[in-house]
Amino acid sequence: MEEPKVELDDLEVNQERLKQNTNQLKNLRVYGSLNAGMIAGILGMDGWIGMGIYVVVFLIVSACLAIKMNFRVKEYFKSSYDAYYSGIGTDLLLFLMIWVIFHNIVNIL
Amino acid sequence: MSDILIDDRIRDWVFLPIIIVMFMIQMFRGLLTKYMDNKKTSQKVTSKAQVSEMIDKNITQQSQRLARLYGLLPDHSFKMKRAHLCDNKSGILTKASEKPAKDPMQSMSMMNPAAMADMLKQNLSGIVFMALQYQWVSYFFSGFVIGKVPFPLTQKFRTMLQRGVDVQNLDVRYISSISIYFVLLFGGLQKIQQLMFGDDTDEFVDDTQMQMQMQMMGMPTMPSFGQQNDPGKLFIAERTRLEGVKHSFELNKSQEKAIKSLKRFLIQ
Repeated sequence: MEEPKVELDDLEVNQERLKQNTNQLKNLRVYGSLNAGMIAGILGMDGWIGMGIYVVVFLIVSACLAIKMNFRVKEYFKSSYDAYYSGIGTDLLLFLMIWVIFHNIVNIL
Repeated sequence: MSDILIDDRIRDWVFLPIIIVMFMIQMFRGLLTKYMDNKKTSQKVTSKAQVSEMIDKNITQQSQRLARLYGLLPDHSFKMKRAHLCDNKSGILTKASEKPAKDPMQSMSMMNPAAMADMLKQNLSGIVFMALQYQWVSYFFSGFVIGKVPFPLTQKFRTMLQRGVDVQNLDVRYISSISIYFVLLFGGLQKIQQLMFGDDTDEFVDDTQMQMQMQMMGMPTMPSFGQQNDPGKLFIAERTRLEGVKHSFELNKSQEKAIKSLKRFLIQ
Protein backbone atom coordinates (compact mmCIF):
# COMPACT_ATOMS: atom_id res chain seq x y z
CA MET A 1 0.00 0.00 0.00
CA GLU A 2 1.54 3.24 -1.09
CA GLU A 3 1.21 5.88 1.61
CA PRO A 4 3.32 8.96 1.05
CA LYS A 5 3.61 11.34 3.93
CA VAL A 6 1.48 14.42 4.38
CA GLU A 7 2.25 17.35 6.61
CA LEU A 8 -0.68 19.51 7.61
CA ASP A 9 0.05 23.03 8.66
CA ASP A 10 -2.28 25.94 9.32
CA LEU A 11 -2.82 26.72 5.67
CA GLU A 12 -4.27 23.23 5.15
CA VAL A 13 -1.96 22.47 2.27
CA ASN A 14 -3.42 19.03 1.75
CA GLN A 15 -1.91 17.57 -1.30
CA GLU A 16 -3.25 14.95 -3.62
CA ARG A 17 -1.59 12.45 -1.33
CA LEU A 18 -4.25 12.68 1.32
CA LYS A 19 -6.85 11.93 -1.30
CA GLN A 20 -4.84 8.95 -2.49
CA ASN A 21 -4.55 7.68 1.05
CA THR A 22 -8.24 7.92 1.71
CA ASN A 23 -9.02 6.17 -1.55
CA GLN A 24 -6.76 3.31 -0.61
CA LEU A 25 -8.40 3.17 2.78
CA LYS A 26 -11.80 2.97 1.15
CA ASN A 27 -10.66 0.09 -1.04
CA LEU A 28 -9.23 -1.67 1.99
CA ARG A 29 -12.48 -1.34 3.85
CA VAL A 30 -14.40 -2.82 0.92
CA TYR A 31 -12.08 -5.82 0.88
CA GLY A 32 -12.52 -6.13 4.62
CA SER A 33 -16.28 -6.15 4.48
CA LEU A 34 -16.24 -8.65 1.60
CA ASN A 35 -14.14 -10.99 3.69
CA ALA A 36 -16.33 -10.47 6.72
CA GLY A 37 -19.40 -11.32 4.68
CA MET A 38 -17.81 -14.48 3.39
CA ILE A 39 -16.76 -15.57 6.86
CA ALA A 40 -20.18 -14.92 8.33
CA GLY A 41 -21.95 -16.62 5.47
CA ILE A 42 -19.86 -19.73 5.19
CA LEU A 43 -19.77 -20.39 8.89
CA GLY A 44 -23.52 -20.05 9.02
CA MET A 45 -23.67 -17.38 11.64
CA ASP A 46 -27.00 -16.13 12.73
CA GLY A 47 -28.34 -12.72 13.66
CA TRP A 48 -26.28 -10.56 15.95
CA ILE A 49 -23.21 -12.79 15.93
CA GLY A 50 -22.84 -12.02 12.26
CA MET A 51 -22.88 -8.30 12.95
CA GLY A 52 -20.26 -8.92 15.60
CA ILE A 53 -18.06 -10.56 12.97
CA TYR A 54 -18.34 -7.44 10.85
CA VAL A 55 -17.21 -5.21 13.71
CA VAL A 56 -14.38 -7.59 14.58
CA VAL A 57 -13.06 -7.71 11.03
CA PHE A 58 -13.31 -3.94 10.80
CA LEU A 59 -11.21 -3.55 13.92
CA ILE A 60 -8.70 -6.08 12.61
CA VAL A 61 -8.34 -4.03 9.42
CA SER A 62 -7.80 -0.89 11.48
CA ALA A 63 -5.21 -2.67 13.60
CA CYS A 64 -3.31 -3.84 10.51
CA LEU A 65 -3.42 -0.30 9.19
CA ALA A 66 -1.98 0.99 12.44
CA ILE A 67 0.84 -1.53 12.34
CA LYS A 68 1.61 -0.61 8.73
CA MET A 69 1.79 3.06 9.59
CA ASN A 70 3.99 2.34 12.62
CA PHE A 71 1.31 4.05 14.72
CA ARG A 72 2.10 7.48 13.32
CA VAL A 73 -1.35 8.40 12.16
CA LYS A 74 -0.87 12.13 11.80
CA GLU A 75 1.55 11.72 8.97
CA TYR A 76 -0.84 9.79 6.79
CA PHE A 77 -4.33 10.89 7.69
CA LYS A 78 -6.07 13.83 9.25
CA SER A 79 -6.87 12.21 12.56
CA SER A 80 -6.90 8.81 14.14
CA TYR A 81 -10.70 8.82 14.27
CA ASP A 82 -10.73 9.35 10.53
CA ALA A 83 -8.35 6.56 9.80
CA TYR A 84 -9.62 3.93 12.20
CA TYR A 85 -13.24 4.38 13.08
CA SER A 86 -15.03 6.70 10.75
CA GLY A 87 -16.23 4.59 7.87
CA ILE A 88 -17.88 1.75 9.72
CA GLY A 89 -21.39 2.37 8.45
CA THR A 90 -20.69 2.86 4.78
CA ASP A 91 -19.75 -0.70 3.97
CA LEU A 92 -22.38 -2.24 6.19
CA LEU A 93 -24.83 -2.81 3.37
CA LEU A 94 -22.13 -4.43 1.30
CA PHE A 95 -21.42 -6.79 4.17
CA LEU A 96 -25.10 -7.65 4.45
CA MET A 97 -25.34 -8.41 0.78
CA ILE A 98 -22.33 -10.71 0.75
CA TRP A 99 -23.47 -12.37 3.95
CA VAL A 100 -26.91 -13.16 2.54
CA ILE A 101 -25.48 -14.45 -0.73
CA PHE A 102 -22.90 -16.74 0.82
CA HIS A 103 -25.20 -17.92 3.56
CA ASN A 104 -27.71 -18.98 0.98
CA ILE A 105 -25.29 -20.64 -1.39
CA VAL A 106 -23.39 -22.59 1.21
CA ASN A 107 -25.93 -23.47 3.82
CA ILE A 108 -29.34 -23.56 2.37
CA LEU A 109 -29.52 -24.10 -1.31
CA MET B 1 -40.76 -24.23 12.42
CA SER B 2 -38.89 -26.88 10.57
CA ASP B 3 -36.38 -25.99 7.93
CA ILE B 4 -37.56 -25.84 4.38
CA LEU B 5 -35.56 -27.80 1.89
CA ILE B 6 -34.98 -25.90 -1.29
CA ASP B 7 -34.38 -27.65 -4.56
CA ASP B 8 -30.96 -27.56 -6.16
CA ARG B 9 -32.43 -26.35 -9.36
CA ILE B 10 -33.55 -23.13 -7.73
CA ARG B 11 -29.98 -22.36 -6.92
CA ASP B 12 -28.77 -23.20 -10.40
CA TRP B 13 -31.42 -21.47 -12.38
CA VAL B 14 -32.61 -18.63 -10.20
CA PHE B 15 -30.23 -17.50 -7.51
CA LEU B 16 -26.98 -17.53 -9.43
CA PRO B 17 -28.47 -16.15 -12.66
CA ILE B 18 -29.96 -13.17 -10.85
CA ILE B 19 -26.65 -12.31 -9.27
CA ILE B 20 -24.68 -12.79 -12.47
CA VAL B 21 -27.11 -10.83 -14.61
CA MET B 22 -27.28 -7.91 -12.20
CA PHE B 23 -23.55 -7.78 -11.97
CA MET B 24 -23.16 -7.82 -15.74
CA ILE B 25 -25.71 -5.06 -16.15
CA GLN B 26 -23.85 -3.00 -13.59
CA MET B 27 -20.57 -3.39 -15.47
CA PHE B 28 -22.31 -2.61 -18.71
CA ARG B 29 -23.73 0.55 -17.21
CA GLY B 30 -20.26 1.58 -16.11
CA LEU B 31 -18.91 1.13 -19.59
CA LEU B 32 -21.86 3.03 -20.99
CA THR B 33 -21.27 6.06 -18.79
CA LYS B 34 -17.61 5.98 -19.68
CA TYR B 35 -18.46 5.92 -23.37
CA MET B 36 -20.97 8.74 -23.08
CA ASP B 37 -18.55 10.87 -21.18
CA ASN B 38 -15.96 10.42 -23.88
CA LYS B 39 -18.48 11.53 -26.44
CA LYS B 40 -19.45 14.61 -24.52
CA THR B 41 -17.64 17.74 -25.65
CA SER B 42 -17.41 20.90 -23.63
CA GLN B 43 -20.35 23.23 -23.99
CA LYS B 44 -19.99 26.74 -25.20
CA VAL B 45 -21.41 29.42 -23.02
CA THR B 46 -23.77 31.18 -25.34
CA SER B 47 -26.58 32.98 -23.59
CA LYS B 48 -26.12 36.17 -21.65
CA ALA B 49 -27.75 34.77 -18.57
CA GLN B 50 -25.23 31.98 -18.49
CA VAL B 51 -22.36 34.43 -18.81
CA SER B 52 -23.56 36.43 -15.85
CA GLU B 53 -24.01 33.23 -13.89
CA MET B 54 -20.43 32.25 -14.62
CA ILE B 55 -19.23 35.69 -13.56
CA ASP B 56 -21.03 35.36 -10.24
CA LYS B 57 -19.54 31.95 -9.69
CA ASN B 58 -16.07 33.22 -10.41
CA ILE B 59 -16.49 36.13 -8.04
CA THR B 60 -17.54 33.85 -5.21
CA GLN B 61 -14.65 31.52 -5.96
CA GLN B 62 -12.20 34.38 -5.84
CA SER B 63 -13.46 35.70 -2.53
CA GLN B 64 -13.54 32.23 -0.98
CA ARG B 65 -10.01 31.56 -2.08
CA LEU B 66 -8.87 34.82 -0.60
CA ALA B 67 -10.60 34.05 2.68
CA ARG B 68 -8.98 30.64 2.83
CA LEU B 69 -5.42 31.33 1.75
CA TYR B 70 -4.81 34.78 3.12
CA GLY B 71 -1.74 33.56 4.97
CA LEU B 72 0.20 33.28 1.76
CA LEU B 73 0.04 37.00 1.09
CA PRO B 74 2.04 39.74 2.77
CA ASP B 75 0.14 42.52 4.49
CA HIS B 76 -0.14 45.16 1.83
CA SER B 77 -1.13 42.83 -0.99
CA PHE B 78 -3.82 41.20 1.12
CA LYS B 79 -5.20 44.61 1.97
CA MET B 80 -5.20 45.60 -1.67
CA LYS B 81 -7.02 42.45 -2.73
CA ARG B 82 -9.55 42.83 0.01
CA ALA B 83 -10.19 46.44 -0.90
CA HIS B 84 -10.62 45.44 -4.52
CA LEU B 85 -13.41 43.13 -3.47
CA CYS B 86 -15.03 44.83 -0.50
CA ASP B 87 -14.58 48.53 -0.91
CA ASN B 88 -17.61 50.56 0.08
CA LYS B 89 -18.10 52.20 -3.27
CA SER B 90 -16.21 50.40 -5.96
CA GLY B 91 -15.61 46.88 -4.63
CA ILE B 92 -16.81 44.03 -6.76
CA LEU B 93 -18.72 42.35 -3.97
CA THR B 94 -20.60 45.48 -3.03
CA LYS B 95 -21.62 46.02 -6.62
CA ALA B 96 -22.66 42.44 -7.07
CA SER B 97 -24.70 42.35 -3.90
CA GLU B 98 -26.94 45.06 -5.18
CA LYS B 99 -28.27 42.91 -7.96
CA PRO B 100 -31.95 41.97 -7.72
CA ALA B 101 -32.95 38.49 -6.68
CA LYS B 102 -33.57 35.99 -9.42
CA ASP B 103 -36.96 34.41 -9.43
CA PRO B 104 -37.19 30.63 -9.73
CA MET B 105 -38.90 30.68 -13.13
CA GLN B 106 -36.02 32.52 -14.65
CA SER B 107 -33.44 30.21 -13.17
CA MET B 108 -35.23 27.16 -14.55
CA SER B 109 -35.18 28.56 -18.04
CA MET B 110 -31.44 29.00 -17.84
CA MET B 111 -30.88 25.32 -18.44
CA ASN B 112 -29.86 25.10 -22.02
CA PRO B 113 -30.76 22.03 -24.05
CA ALA B 114 -27.36 20.43 -23.62
CA ALA B 115 -27.74 20.29 -19.85
CA MET B 116 -31.21 18.83 -20.20
CA ALA B 117 -29.97 16.16 -22.57
CA ASP B 118 -27.22 15.35 -20.13
CA MET B 119 -29.67 14.86 -17.28
CA LEU B 120 -31.87 12.70 -19.48
CA LYS B 121 -28.94 10.51 -20.40
CA GLN B 122 -28.01 10.02 -16.78
CA ASN B 123 -31.59 9.19 -15.91
CA LEU B 124 -31.68 6.73 -18.74
CA SER B 125 -28.65 4.86 -17.60
CA GLY B 126 -29.92 4.79 -14.04
CA ILE B 127 -33.65 4.42 -13.75
CA VAL B 128 -34.39 2.49 -16.90
CA PHE B 129 -32.02 -0.31 -16.01
CA MET B 130 -33.45 -0.52 -12.53
CA ALA B 131 -37.01 -0.76 -13.81
CA LEU B 132 -36.00 -3.26 -16.47
CA GLN B 133 -34.33 -5.55 -13.97
CA TYR B 134 -37.26 -5.34 -11.60
CA GLN B 135 -39.68 -6.34 -14.33
CA TRP B 136 -37.46 -9.18 -15.46
CA VAL B 137 -37.04 -10.61 -11.98
CA SER B 138 -40.66 -10.28 -10.99
CA TYR B 139 -41.94 -11.76 -14.23
CA PHE B 140 -39.77 -14.81 -14.41
CA PHE B 141 -39.03 -15.62 -10.82
CA SER B 142 -42.10 -14.86 -8.83
CA GLY B 143 -44.11 -17.16 -6.66
CA PHE B 144 -41.53 -19.21 -4.85
CA VAL B 145 -39.06 -19.01 -2.04
CA ILE B 146 -35.46 -18.49 -2.95
CA GLY B 147 -33.48 -18.45 0.23
CA LYS B 148 -33.19 -17.35 3.77
CA VAL B 149 -31.81 -14.26 5.44
CA PRO B 150 -29.55 -14.97 8.35
CA PHE B 151 -31.02 -12.47 10.76
CA PRO B 152 -34.43 -12.27 12.41
CA LEU B 153 -36.86 -9.70 11.09
CA THR B 154 -40.22 -8.39 12.20
CA GLN B 155 -43.50 -9.14 10.50
CA LYS B 156 -43.56 -5.75 8.85
CA PHE B 157 -40.99 -6.91 6.33
CA ARG B 158 -43.14 -9.77 5.19
CA THR B 159 -44.87 -7.87 2.41
CA MET B 160 -41.63 -6.61 0.99
CA LEU B 161 -39.60 -9.76 1.25
CA GLN B 162 -42.17 -12.39 0.42
CA ARG B 163 -44.01 -10.86 -2.49
CA GLY B 164 -45.83 -13.52 -4.43
CA VAL B 165 -45.59 -16.19 -1.80
CA ASP B 166 -48.95 -16.52 -0.12
CA VAL B 167 -48.21 -18.91 2.69
CA GLN B 168 -49.31 -17.14 5.80
CA ASN B 169 -47.25 -18.60 8.56
CA LEU B 170 -44.01 -18.91 6.71
CA ASP B 171 -41.05 -17.61 8.66
CA VAL B 172 -40.15 -14.08 7.58
CA ARG B 173 -36.65 -15.27 7.03
CA TYR B 174 -37.57 -17.05 3.85
CA ILE B 175 -37.39 -14.58 1.03
CA SER B 176 -38.65 -14.46 -2.50
CA SER B 177 -36.61 -13.56 -5.51
CA ILE B 178 -37.52 -9.89 -5.64
CA SER B 179 -35.95 -9.36 -2.27
CA ILE B 180 -32.60 -10.67 -3.44
CA TYR B 181 -32.91 -8.07 -6.19
CA PHE B 182 -33.33 -5.36 -3.57
CA VAL B 183 -30.48 -6.66 -1.48
CA LEU B 184 -28.19 -6.59 -4.47
CA LEU B 185 -29.39 -3.17 -5.51
CA PHE B 186 -28.84 -1.46 -2.20
CA GLY B 187 -25.89 -3.51 -1.18
CA GLY B 188 -23.64 -1.87 -3.64
CA LEU B 189 -22.59 -3.82 -6.65
CA GLN B 190 -21.00 -0.52 -7.53
CA LYS B 191 -18.35 -0.88 -4.93
CA ILE B 192 -17.25 -4.20 -6.26
CA GLN B 193 -17.23 -2.73 -9.72
CA GLN B 194 -15.06 0.07 -8.43
CA LEU B 195 -12.62 -2.42 -7.08
CA MET B 196 -12.39 -4.14 -10.39
CA PHE B 197 -12.28 -1.13 -12.65
CA GLY B 198 -9.76 0.79 -10.64
CA ASP B 199 -9.79 4.39 -9.59
CA ASP B 200 -10.79 6.20 -12.74
CA THR B 201 -14.45 5.34 -12.52
CA ASP B 202 -14.79 6.99 -9.14
CA GLU B 203 -16.47 10.17 -10.31
CA PHE B 204 -19.06 8.64 -12.60
CA VAL B 205 -20.20 5.99 -10.22
CA ASP B 206 -20.56 8.36 -7.34
CA ASP B 207 -22.62 10.71 -9.41
CA THR B 208 -25.14 8.16 -10.60
CA GLN B 209 -25.45 6.57 -7.20
CA MET B 210 -25.94 9.92 -5.55
CA GLN B 211 -28.46 11.01 -8.13
CA MET B 212 -30.35 7.77 -7.84
CA GLN B 213 -30.59 8.17 -4.10
CA MET B 214 -31.71 11.73 -4.41
CA GLN B 215 -34.38 10.87 -6.90
CA MET B 216 -35.63 8.10 -4.75
CA MET B 217 -35.96 10.49 -1.88
CA GLY B 218 -38.04 12.73 -4.06
CA MET B 219 -35.78 15.72 -4.31
CA PRO B 220 -35.39 17.33 -7.72
CA THR B 221 -31.87 17.33 -9.11
CA MET B 222 -30.67 20.66 -10.43
CA PRO B 223 -27.56 20.87 -12.54
CA SER B 224 -26.01 23.65 -10.47
CA PHE B 225 -26.33 23.02 -6.78
CA GLY B 226 -24.92 26.29 -5.56
CA GLN B 227 -27.43 28.37 -7.45
CA GLN B 228 -29.66 30.20 -5.07
CA ASN B 229 -32.46 32.54 -5.81
CA ASP B 230 -30.88 35.45 -4.04
CA PRO B 231 -27.26 36.02 -4.99
CA GLY B 232 -27.23 39.35 -3.22
CA LYS B 233 -27.34 37.69 0.19
CA LEU B 234 -24.55 35.34 -0.82
CA PHE B 235 -22.30 38.23 -1.72
CA ILE B 236 -23.11 40.10 1.45
CA ALA B 237 -22.18 37.01 3.46
CA GLU B 238 -18.91 36.69 1.56
CA ARG B 239 -18.14 40.32 2.19
CA THR B 240 -18.68 40.13 5.92
CA ARG B 241 -16.54 37.04 6.03
CA LEU B 242 -13.69 38.76 4.22
CA GLU B 243 -13.88 41.82 6.35
CA GLY B 244 -13.72 39.72 9.48
CA VAL B 245 -10.53 37.96 8.47
CA LYS B 246 -7.65 38.54 10.84
CA HIS B 247 -4.68 38.57 8.58
CA SER B 248 -1.23 37.33 9.48
CA PHE B 249 1.47 36.54 7.03
CA GLU B 250 2.71 32.98 7.36
CA LEU B 251 6.27 33.84 6.55
CA ASN B 252 6.54 35.56 9.92
CA LYS B 253 6.01 32.26 11.60
CA SER B 254 8.31 30.35 9.35
CA GLN B 255 11.24 30.22 11.73
CA GLU B 256 9.22 28.56 14.47
CA LYS B 257 7.77 26.08 12.03
CA ALA B 258 11.18 25.21 10.67
CA ILE B 259 12.48 24.59 14.16
CA LYS B 260 9.50 22.37 14.91
CA SER B 261 9.80 20.22 11.84
CA LEU B 262 13.55 19.95 12.06
CA LYS B 263 13.22 18.80 15.65
CA ARG B 264 10.70 16.18 14.64
CA PHE B 265 12.91 15.05 11.79
CA LEU B 266 16.11 14.83 13.79
CA ILE B 267 14.60 13.03 16.75
CA GLN B 268 13.39 10.05 14.65
